[in-house]
Parts: sequence; C-alpha cells; structure tokens
Amino acid sequence: MARAKSPTLQRLLLGMAVLPLLSGCVAQFPVDPEGTLQEVRSGTISVGVTPNANFVEVADEELQGSEIQVIKDFAESLDAEVEWTVAGEEQLVAALEDGDLDLVAGGISSKTPWSEKVGMTRPYTTQIDADGQESKIVMLVPPGENAFLFEVERFLDRTQEKP
Amino acid sequence: MTSSPGTHLPHEQKQLMRRAAKLEWISIGYAACTIALVALVVGNSQAMRTAWIEDMLSVLPQLAFLIALRWTRKTRKPRHPYGYHRSMGAGHLVAGVALLVVGAMLAFESMSALVKAEHPTIGTVNLFGQTIWQGWPMILVMTVIVVPAVILGRLKIKVAEPLHNKLLYADSKMAKADWQTNAASIVGVAGIGLGIWWLDSVAALVISIGILKDGWDSTRSATSDLLDSRASALDSTDPHPLVLRIEEHLARIDWVREAAVRARELGQVQHIEVFVVPRSDKVDVKQVAGICAELEELDWQAYDVVVIPVESIPEHLDRVPAKE
Repeated sequence: MARAKSPTLQRLLLGMAVLPLLSGCVAQFPVDPEGTLQEVRSGTISVGVTPNANFVEVADEELQGSEIQVIKDFAESLDAEVEWTVAGEEQLVAALEDGDLDLVAGGISSKTPWSEKVGMTRPYTTQIDADGQESKIVMLVPPGENAFLFEVERFLDRTQEKP
Repeated sequence: MTSSPGTHLPHEQKQLMRRAAKLEWISIGYAACTIALVALVVGNSQAMRTAWIEDMLSVLPQLAFLIALRWTRKTRKPRHPYGYHRSMGAGHLVAGVALLVVGAMLAFESMSALVKAEHPTIGTVNLFGQTIWQGWPMILVMTVIVVPAVILGRLKIKVAEPLHNKLLYADSKMAKADWQTNAASIVGVAGIGLGIWWLDSVAALVISIGILKDGWDSTRSATSDLLDSRASALDSTDPHPLVLRIEEHLARIDWVREAAVRARELGQVQHIEVFVVPRSDKVDVKQVAGICAELEELDWQAYDVVVIPVESIPEHLDRVPAKE
C-alpha cells in the first residue's frame, strides 16, 4: 500500500512546484474573478462614501476630508476618474456586493460587521473615538476581487503611515 | 486457565505499546504546533479553514488512544470480569462519531458557500515594507507542515499493525493521508489566486469528505467490534488469522470430535471461547485445561481462553471439521 502511494506523492510534489511557475505566467497575481482592477485602470472608479468626522465631509455638495484625498490620489495612481456616491453604509455595502461600487470608505473601523459580506483592507490609519478607545480604520472592497484589493493595499502601504 | 492481569502483554508488545504512546504524544505536540502556525495564516479561504479544523480533529483519536491506554492497564476484578481492553473500542467510537459530525458540518458549510457563490477575499501582508499576497504564506505553511505528519503516520502504522490496535491503525492511516488535505488546501488557495473562486469551496468539500470518510470508517469498525463481531484482520471482514490457527489446532486433538471457535476483539487481545464435542461422554478436567493452556500459548493475542464441552455445536457457529 505504501508503495502504491508514493508515485502519487511524487506527482503531487511536482504539481506543487509547478503552481508558482504557473502563476508566474499570469501577468497579474492574484487575479480578480470579476476583473475590477482591469475595468478601473484608465477608466472610472465608482467610490461610495458615508460622511464621518474628518474622514468624509459633505459641505455644499463638495466632498472633503482625509479619506476623500487618499481616494483621489489612489485614482490618480491608476489614471482613473472617480464617480462618487454618498449614501449610508448599508446601501453602499449592498452596492459593493452587487459589483456596482469598487471602493467604500467613511471612517469604517476594522471591527465592522460588514467584513463578513465584503472584502476589507488592512487598517491604514487610526482614530481615537468618543470613549477614548483607538479604532483602526479600513476601506471596503468588492468580495473576492483580490487583484484590486492587492492594488489598494499596496497603494496604502506606500502612501500612508501604518497604524 | 491462567488468570492474567489487565497488562497481559508479552515484553515485545509492551515495548511496542510504549513506542505507540510516545509517538502519539509527539503527534499531539506536533499538532499543537501546526494548529498555532496555521492560525497565523488561515485567512478567508474555506479550504484553509477546513484543513485547520481537520488538524484539530486529528488530535481526537490520539487523545482517545492515550486515555484508553491508561484504562487498559487496569487489572481485572469481579466488577469488570473481562478487564478494560474494550476502552480502546469506546475511544475509537467516540473519535469516529466526532469526526462524522464535524465532517458533515464542514461539508455543509463548503456546499453552502458554493451555492451562494461566495467569492473568498484574500488580502496582503506587509513584510519588511513589501506588500505580499497572503496566499503565498498560506501555501508555504501548508507545504512545510505536511512532511513530519506523514512521517509520523508511517511510523505509527508500523507499530499499529503488529499490535493489532484498530484505534492506532485508524489514526496512523489518517496521518498518512494528511498530505491530501494539505494538497487540497493549496489547490484551493492557488485557485483563489488564479481568480477561480469556486475552487476554494470545492477543495474544502474534498477535505470534508475525507474527514467524513475517516469518521464513517472508524465508527463502523468500532461499532462492529463493540457488537462482538467475529475477530477480523485490520482492514477486512475476513476472520482473523488467529481464529484459523486455533481451528487448525483443535482439528488435531484426538478426543475432540467437533469444535467451534467464538472470538471477539478486546482492543489488542481476543477473548476466545471454544466449544468442543468430545468423542466419548466423559471428559477429564485436565484435558479441558490442557486445551486452554495450549491455545493461550499459541499466540499472545489469545486472551482469557475458555473451553466448553458440549453435546453439539451451537447452530450459528462454523464447525471445525472432525479429524478422520
């Protein structure tokens, strides 16, 4: 029985060695199942925001705040136009799930329950909330769009101070 | 009939038991390390989570063996006339049922992820200023931890076979097949990386089916032993070779016209009952005691041999053909 199994094991190990090579052949790794990054690059990025403290402020139809600036810079790095949507978190998350939005922000903490439904970046900044507790701030991305998430996190790693 | 204590095992088998216990302790220690290591990288992959839970479950038969081992060392007493060998069977059953239940839950979870078309999200880690996709450390960890597990499994199977311990045997077979779990989880993660979201749930389903199969095999084998099915070889339902040897031995005895053997497994050893139909109406007690002693000497597994002279062999037993 032991003898019969070892060729399978050898073939498997060979297969494991091939996997990284295979991934080398794919230009982008990881790949987006729905191709978000490809659509956004040199195109339009649909961003949903919820007003929240200094992160996102809406004044006279103008969007301001630290996260608005980060997103503008990110869009520029991808050579993309930003299409803004302002709404409540629940609506924005539903739109992310349906693929109608590419990115959601608004002082969302890393403990958000939405992370069960959609993708979440690593925390890139912190905020001291009303109770004096430090909360870590994240952005939300469509579920499973791992190339796009990789791009967002790489941008945040380069431009933001880690919390 | 010699009245042996619960530790009734020859020196060589005692050594093997000690070795088995040592290997099981090493296995548990190793499992603790892998569980901690995988916890660091488990992430959102269903296949990784399932493989992680499988790692935790793999400890169950090992714990069951070590606990049962303490019990089997106890001596027989009036309240427990057969000794404590069956504790191995009880442990085997508990581990089997646990594997069945958790395996079914995991299979359901991966199927529901498939039906709901959940796309697993795997982000990045920042290592020394480099943004690295989390899938890479996952694949690395799952590759590295597989080798010692398989080696341990191979070592254990070499002890389980001569000991004829089904719990240990089931555990070593699980460990030997552990690489399949790790391979499946790597395929799942690589699938996510290649944008094939469903490959992750399919890999998780494959792993859960493996757990279910282990659970089913253990539950069936343990239940069959606890129901006193005929002693059988480790991996089959054929009669245990010892039963055949006892039958051969009985066929050679002059004063026995017909005989039949009833053997049931008690962990390592077998409880043997022999029915004999003598050629004449009178049987000497010494003759009966003689067979008992001869049979117990035949093999260390023949434990607690009882010889019962009868007028005719009970209908449900296979007869040993009379010597011409």
